[in-house]
Amino acid sequence: MNLNDVTSLLWIATFCFGISFVLGMVKTRHSFPYGLQECPFILIVIGFFLQTRALYLRGIEVHGCPLGNGLERTQFILWSLILAFLLLRLVWQLNLLGTFCAGASLLLGSLSLGLKDWDAPYWKAEGYTRLFQDPWIELHASLAIFSYGLFCLLAVVSIMYLSQRQTLLSRKPGFLGPFLPPIQELEVAAFRLLAVGVTFLSLSMVVGTMHWTRHPEFVSQTKLAVTSALWIGYLVLLGMRMSNRLYGSRFAKWTIALFAIALLSLSLVSSKQKKQAFHALPLQPLALNLR
Amino acid sequence: MTPSPDSSLFLLGTSHQVANLNERESIALPSDSIDSFYRGLQELDGLKECLVLNTCNRTEIYGAAEDNLKIEVVSNYLAEFRDLDPEFMIQKTYRRAGPEVVRHLFEVASGIDSQMVGETEILGQLKKAYDDASERAFTGKVLNRLFQKSFQAAKWARTNTGISRGQVNLGNVLCELARRIFGQVGQCRVLVVGAGEVAEGALEAFKSRGSEAITVTGRTFDWCPLSRRKPDELAQKFDGFTLAYSKLHDSLHLFDVVLASTASAKALLTHKQVEVAMKKRPSKPLFVIDASVPRNVEEAASTVENVYLYNMDDVSAIANENLQSRLAEVERCRTALSKRALRLWEQMRAQPSLPS
Repeated sequence: MNLNDVTSLLWIATFCFGISFVLGMVKTRHSFPYGLQECPFILIVIGFFLQTRALYLRGIEVHGCPLGNGLERTQFILWSLILAFLLLRLVWQLNLLGTFCAGASLLLGSLSLGLKDWDAPYWKAEGYTRLFQDPWIELHASLAIFSYGLFCLLAVVSIMYLSQRQTLLSRKPGFLGPFLPPIQELEVAAFRLLAVGVTFLSLSMVVGTMHWTRHPEFVSQTKLAVTSALWIGYLVLLGMRMSNRLYGSRFAKWTIALFAIALLSLSLVSSKQKKQAFHALPLQPLALNLR
Repeated sequence: MTPSPDSSLFLLGTSHQVANLNERESIALPSDSIDSFYRGLQELDGLKECLVLNTCNRTEIYGAAEDNLKIEVVSNYLAEFRDLDPEFMIQKTYRRAGPEVVRHLFEVASGIDSQMVGETEILGQLKKAYDDASERAFTGKVLNRLFQKSFQAAKWARTNTGISRGQVNLGNVLCELARRIFGQVGQCRVLVVGAGEVAEGALEAFKSRGSEAITVTGRTFDWCPLSRRKPDELAQKFDGFTLAYSKLHDSLHLFDVVLASTASAKALLTHKQVEVAMKKRPSKPLFVIDASVPRNVEEAASTVENVYLYNMDDVSAIANENLQSRLAEVERCRTALSKRALRLWEQMRAQPSLPS
């Protein structure tokens, strides 16, 4: 085990999340001996620290916030997800939320690590100096990815909402129902997460717009269209929720669908200049840059 | 009452396991006679420590005594005190000695010997009985240690096994469902339509969880044929309010939990009426319980977003499933408690001042 190797660290972190997820699910049915009760949460914390160290090491390597390829962006979103959960847990004692977050980290983390092409070493390209030449655009990217983390948590909360709703409508005790948070609290939490996520995304858009007006040549039409569409999508969702036009299960399904679209569109939010530089690298076909 | 090495541990008791309600009532001690019963116990030759547990489901006497005290003496004393035939006492009571007392007490404290398996009320009753005996200075080293350990064993059983998982009482099942929908049951505004027995049981459960906003309405404020009780009497009993039935449909959106328990042959809440009410509280859930036969709430109302409709069959099915789940855990719990009891007994025996 090499604690200075980014990939190894991320694999170990994913493993910790995986074990935490399994233990968390087992814990819903079987009580743990005293002293082992907090095991799932401790594993999430260990995974978070390992993930933080991995992203820190990668940040040093790429001279900036590590958001240059699919792996880095996915891991940064998952890091934001766990961070948001840990902050939320301080005021909201929800162990099962942690289990669901660990499950999401296991799934998306394994996927990002399993796809070798997602971790193309763009920083090894000839003439590479640093990922972000402009600190404002680095701020834009990190704010945007952090908001994605919040939207990921929102999707997790929505999945919990739909599970609780389904159990209640089935009129049976259910496997998870008694251990999930109350449906009304989940709806309130989802609304707040959406509001905070939209705030961060809007801040990111403001900073990004400042950069775009000065250097329009670096921003592709696709990136502009996709990011604007997502931002408007989340704004509309927030507006409809605030005006009570969209709520309950339909609101939950929309938050999940929008996050899925956000994830799928990650590869489209790159800029022209870095894309061109990247094509010069024959072995890194999927590396994307955010200049 | 200082214990000596030759003291022994015993238990004489009756419960739902060996006696029916009438028989238990005849053995149970009236609350105003506990003092005199203890005084009489104290005079029994050879008895060093004693504790009386007297609940609606069981009457038990735990004691530590010298070997010369036969358990029949205690049984005869109880029979005499309650004016019962000693033969009846032999048939309707159980007697335990030594490690069997420890094991029995652990099972009682953890709730697996209760009529409603896994209930937690017995632990409170046991603690109260222990405090009562301690204040009278009837407990000593033996019973102090035994009861302290039984409280720990009960806590262990509830934490580490599934004997208390899921509610089995209908009122509690409803409260648990309300908790899963709203979180704080005490904050829920509850409306009861009618004054049936189910409504009363449910209100007791909601009230015990802190519900303050209880409102009762009825088609007539006359006797409810189901419970022979008037709706306004029900409201009074739970410090609630009454609502004119004519205002029911216009006020429906103001409530979080609606419980219909009437003898009406037709639906009192239709899909349309519930839909209209939900438009006034779109993002807030509504929990509707139809405790009437024939049903008082149209089944189609459950298709309205954020409406959770349960009838009594649904609630009973959940209670039964929870009970089955608890029963499945009893054997596992009993085995574990038995080991703990044996360990404690060996530790107690190893100490010279404790029973042989």
